[in-house]
Amino acid sequence: MLNWFTKKNTHSDVKGNLDSYLKRSKDYKQVYYENQKTNQRFCFSFLSSLIDESILEDHALPFLLDKPFEKLEDIKKIVSVADVQISNDPSLIEQKLFNGYVLMTMESDKKNFAFIAAQKEIVRSVTQPEVEFSVIGPKEAFVESLMQNVNLIRKRLPIKELIIEEFTVGSLSKTKVVTLHIDGIADPVNVETIKERIKGVQFDAITDSSYIVQMISDNKNTPFPQLLDTERPDRVTAILAEGKIAVLVDGSPHALIAPTTLVEFFSSFEDYFLNWILSSFFRLIRLFAVAFSILITPVYVATLSYHYELIPKDLMSTLITSRREIPLPPILEALFLELTIELLREAGARLPTKVGQTIGIVGGIVIGTASVEAGLTSNVLLIIVALAALASFTTPVYKMGNAIRLLRFPFLLFAELWGLIGIVFCFCILMTHLIRLTSLNRPFLEPLYPPRLADFKDALVRFPFSQQSQRPQILRSPNPVRFTPPEKKKKTDIDE
Amino acid sequence: MDMEQQHTVADKLKVSPFLVFFLIHSMQVGIGVLGFQRIIALTAGYDAWISVIFAGLSIHLILWMMYKIAETVNGDMVSIHTYIYGNKVGKLLSLPFVLYFCLIAVTIMNGFIEVIQVWMFQDLSTFWFSVAFLGLAIYIIYGGFRTVTGIAFFGVILPLYLIFTFFFTFPYADFSNLLPIFDHPIKDLLKASKNMSLTYLGWETLLFYYPFIKDPAKSKKWAHGGVMFTTILYTLLTVTTFAYFSEGQLQKNVWATLTMWKIVQMPFVERFEYIGIANWNIVILPNVCIAIWCASRVLKRTINIKQKKGVILVSLVCLVGANLFKSRNQLNALFTLSGLIGFYLNYVYIPLLFVAVMIIKKVKNQ
Repeated sequence: MLNWFTKKNTHSDVKGNLDSYLKRSKDYKQVYYENQKTNQRFCFSFLSSLIDESILEDHALPFLLDKPFEKLEDIKKIVSVADVQISNDPSLIEQKLFNGYVLMTMESDKKNFAFIAAQKEIVRSVTQPEVEFSVIGPKEAFVESLMQNVNLIRKRLPIKELIIEEFTVGSLSKTKVVTLHIDGIADPVNVETIKERIKGVQFDAITDSSYIVQMISDNKNTPFPQLLDTERPDRVTAILAEGKIAVLVDGSPHALIAPTTLVEFFSSFEDYFLNWILSSFFRLIRLFAVAFSILITPVYVATLSYHYELIPKDLMSTLITSRREIPLPPILEALFLELTIELLREAGARLPTKVGQTIGIVGGIVIGTASVEAGLTSNVLLIIVALAALASFTTPVYKMGNAIRLLRFPFLLFAELWGLIGIVFCFCILMTHLIRLTSLNRPFLEPLYPPRLADFKDALVRFPFSQQSQRPQILRSPNPVRFTPPEKKKKTDIDE
Repeated sequence: MDMEQQHTVADKLKVSPFLVFFLIHSMQVGIGVLGFQRIIALTAGYDAWISVIFAGLSIHLILWMMYKIAETVNGDMVSIHTYIYGNKVGKLLSLPFVLYFCLIAVTIMNGFIEVIQVWMFQDLSTFWFSVAFLGLAIYIIYGGFRTVTGIAFFGVILPLYLIFTFFFTFPYADFSNLLPIFDHPIKDLLKASKNMSLTYLGWETLLFYYPFIKDPAKSKKWAHGGVMFTTILYTLLTVTTFAYFSEGQLQKNVWATLTMWKIVQMPFVERFEYIGIANWNIVILPNVCIAIWCASRVLKRTINIKQKKGVILVSLVCLVGANLFKSRNQLNALFTLSGLIGFYLNYVYIPLLFVAVMIIKKVKNQ
C-alpha cells in the first residue's frame, strides 16, 4: 500500500525517503479508509504525538466516510475543519506533518494531497510572574507557547499597526521566532537590523530566547546583557508603545526587548505602577545599591591594605579590634568571604527550593559565625560582604544582577594592586567598556553618554507621566510625540 | 583634493557640538592645576589671580582665530598645513605634532605618577603603571573618537564634586591676604600669565578633532564656554589658595591644591587627599587619551599609517618617554619644555597660521 508514495510522481524520491524515515518512529501512523457512498479509498498519515485525534474523529472522519466526494478539492466543503489546504508539492509534506497537520491522500487522485490541521495544543496555563514579581499591577506572565504569548500582547494592543513577523531559526530545532513592533512608531532601521540579525543566526538547536540573545547582541565579549528579557506581557506592551522591538521565541517564557540602555536594567516595571516620587526614590536606592555592592569590599581591601590613614581614629579602633587576630591579609579575607557567598548562592540556585533555603540559612549563619569565631575573617568584613550581597539582589533584572556580582572581583584585584588608585583605574576600564557597548548599534550608556537631557525623564529617576509626552530620543521614532500635552492653564494666585 | 575626500568623517562618527565644551575643558585641566599657585605667586605675588584671569581671557582670542582658520580650510591641522604649504611640505611640517602630543601625554602621565609616588605610594612602579595607563588609553581610542569624547565628558562630570571640598578651607581662609591689589608691575603680571600657560594648555587640540564636530559653527559658543569655565575654576581656586596660605607658606607647598585637601574632614574620611588623588585618575585619563588620539590621527593623515597601528606606535613612544624621565629634575625640565613649546605653539604659531590663511584666502578669492 505504501508504494503509493514511491510510485507516484516525479518527486517520489523525496517522499519515499521521508516515508522510510518516518516509519522508523513509533508515533507515525497511516490509516486507510473507504468512503461508504462512493467507495473511494483514502489514507491519513500523521504523527500521533503532534495531533489531536479527537479533531479527526469528530470533525473530519464522520463526514469523509458518509458524504460522497470525488476529488480532494471536494473535501474542503464537507469537513468541518477550517484549515484544510490542498497542494501538489511533496516538499511541503515534511513541514506540514511536523507542524501537526494530517496528510490525506486518495487512491484516485495521486497528484494532490490535502493537509488537515489537527494540532494538539499542550500549553501551560498563564501563571504569575516569578522573576519580575510585582505587588501591584497585572499578574500574567508569558508561557512557553508562542501563540499564547502573542495573544497576551495582541489583546493589550488591539491595533492594526502592531506587526508580527515570523522567522524560523535553528537547522535542527526549526524554532519559530517572531518580532513585534508597531509600524510608524518603531524606527524602521532598528526593525531591519534585528530582522537581519535573526536571519543570520546559525545554530542547530535553539531552545530558549537566551540563545537568541547571545547570538544577536552587538558585543559578545562582555558580562553585560545588551537586550532586556522580560516575562511580563505588560512590560512588552509598554516598550512596544515607546518604539522598541520585542522578540518572542517559541518555547521560551521570556521576551526580548531591543534596543536597551544600561539604566533600563535598573528599572523595575513596578516603578511605573507607583507614584513618580516613590519610584524615583526606589530607582536611586537601587543605583546606590549597585555602586555599594561593587565597591564596598574593594574599598575595605584598599583602605586596610594601604590607606589606614584615611580612616578616622574612632572608626579605626573598631576595625583594629575586629581584625586583631586575623592571620590573613585583607584581600584573602575578602576573597574567602566573597567566594563563600558565591558558593552559597550557586548551591541555593541549583538545589530544589526547599533544600536551597535550608542551605542558605545553614550556610549563612553557621559558616559566617564560625569563620568569625575561628578567627578567619573579621566580623566587620562579614557585615560588609553580607550587605554587598544583599545589595546585589536589588537589581531587578536577573541577568544584570549576575554581571554586577562578577564585577567586584576585578575591582578586588585592582584594589589589592594599587589601593584606591586601582579602584578608580578599574572604574575607568568599566566606564570605557560601557561607553563602547551598543545595543542594536545604539549607545548603551545613553542618556548618560551621549548626554540627552530629554531622556533623563525616565532614567535615573522617573518623571510623572504628564511630563513624558515624547518618546525617548534614542529610539529615533518616526512619530516621537506620545500625546499632545494639554495647554497649560494660566497660573492662578492664592485665593483667586 | 582627493586626499581630503578620503578623510572626510562619516556623520555617525561625529560628536554633538556641545560636547566640545567637555573636550576643551577636560584637556585644559590636568596635572598643572594641582600646584600652579606657587609658580605664579613666585613672580606676581598675591596679585597673580589677575594673571590667571588675563591668561584665560587671552585664550578666547586665539580660539577665535582657530575657528576662523578651521572654517576657511574646513579641516584639521594637516589640512591647514597643506592649504598653506602645499601637500608634501604641509604634511612634513605636520609630523612634529606627533612628537608634541607624545610629549604632552608623557608630561601629564609622569606628573600624575609623581604625585602618586610622593603622596600615596612611594614604591609605585612607573613602568607598570604607565603600561596599564597606556593600555587603557589604547582600549579607549580603539573605541573611536566618540569613546574618547565620552571619557572627556565623564572626566569633567564625575570629579566635579571635588569643587565642593574647597569649601572646607573657608573657615581657615583670610581673604585680606589678597590686599593690596595691583601691588606688582604689569610686567610681572604678564610674566605670571605666561607661566600660567602650562596649566591652561590643551585647547589647541581643537584644531585636530575639528572635522569630528557635527555642525562646527554651533560648537563655537561651547568651546568658548569650556575655556571660560576653566578660567573661572582656576581663578576661584587661586583666590581660595591665596586666602588659605600665607605667601611664605605657599612657597613651601609644591602641590598647593593637594595640601588644601588635607583640611577636609568628614566623619568617615580623614585624609581626603587620598580620595582626591585617586579621583584625579579620571581627570588625567582624557588628557592622555586626547593627546595620543591626536598624535595617531596626525600619523594617519600624513604618512597613512592605520590609526590602530598608529595608536600602538605612539603609546610605545610614550612608554619609553615615561620611563626615561623619572627623576624630579628631569620631570621639571619636561614640564618647562612642554610649557614652552605649548606657549609658542599657541601664542605665536597659531596667530601666524591665522595671518597666512587669511592672506591666502584673499589671494585665492581674487
